[in-house]
Amino acid sequence: MIEFMSGAVTMGFLVASIFFLRFWQGTADRLFLAFAIAFALMAANQALAQWLGAADERVGYAYLLRVFGYVLILVAIVDKNFARSAK
Amino acid sequence: MNSALSVLATLTSLACMILLFRAYAGTGKRLLLWSALCFVGLTVNNLLLFVDLVVFPAFDLRLYRLGASFFGVLFLLYGFIWETK
Amino acid sequence: MQDADFSDEFCQFVQRTIPTVEAAELLLALAAGPDEWWDRTQLPAKLRPSLGISDAEAARYLDRFEANGLVAPGSGNRIRYRPASDELAAQAATLAQAYAERPVTLIRMIYALRDAKIRSFADAFRLKQGGA
Repeated sequence: MIEFMSGAVTMGFLVASIFFLRFWQGTADRLFLAFAIAFALMAANQALAQWLGAADERVGYAYLLRVFGYVLILVAIVDKNFARSAK
Repeated sequence: MNSALSVLATLTSLACMILLFRAYAGTGKRLLLWSALCFVGLTVNNLLLFVDLVVFPAFDLRLYRLGASFFGVLFLLYGFIWETK
Repeated sequence: MQDADFSDEFCQFVQRTIPTVEAAELLLALAAGPDEWWDRTQLPAKLRPSLGISDAEAARYLDRFEANGLVAPGSGNRIRYRPASDELAAQAATLAQAYAERPVTLIRMIYALRDAKIRSFADAFRLKQGGA
């Protein structure tokens, strides 16, 4: 069950990332690029965590990928609100 | 360190969720509702990750974490496919 | 020509029929020769280099024009610019005028309408709300 869910979630994140990429292409809004990368990182996190397995001590590092993704989202939000070029 | 990072992730996804719900309340665009629900799932996932890392429970929360992410991303994809254009 | 001249009907017309600037240019090129029959497949090649669109894109736009009553099909693969109603003809004329006099505003409007829903996602992350 866990493997199924893990695969499904990884795929879901990847598809979302691809949608965000398309939205970025359509609107040229950097926020979508950030979300695309963030969701790709979440997918990588999930895939790596599954591959390493919960018992592996390195699995903690896999979660760093997700954190990078969220940091990127934060940067994008700040950029949207405080950058001088309005987009 | 681990706990600080997972708290950061949780707070960020929580912020996204709040911003999206607020925008949904303001504009009524359903895409925002689905996106907000996605981040509910991701926030739950991050929260449970924090619990998993920090609290070391007797049982593994992985299935619940995955369940939250699963439904979260499902809502998001539903929104992207049906509610855009 | 003011922004206010873009009536609701015109905005709906654009949202329905003109997804990109290239589509607008294609329609205007067709409208420039209203009695001319064009071959659907050769149209993009004929309009280059002033209008650079791929055959697939042109086909998509033409299908959309046809579905909205802007072009009429003929025998074989031919089509002709033929608005199905006076209202459509008027909207097309407005499009031509807008393209000539206020192209930047028109282009902005085309893309703003198309991306409205997606933009709402990005706009959600503006901390100060209140108008895009």
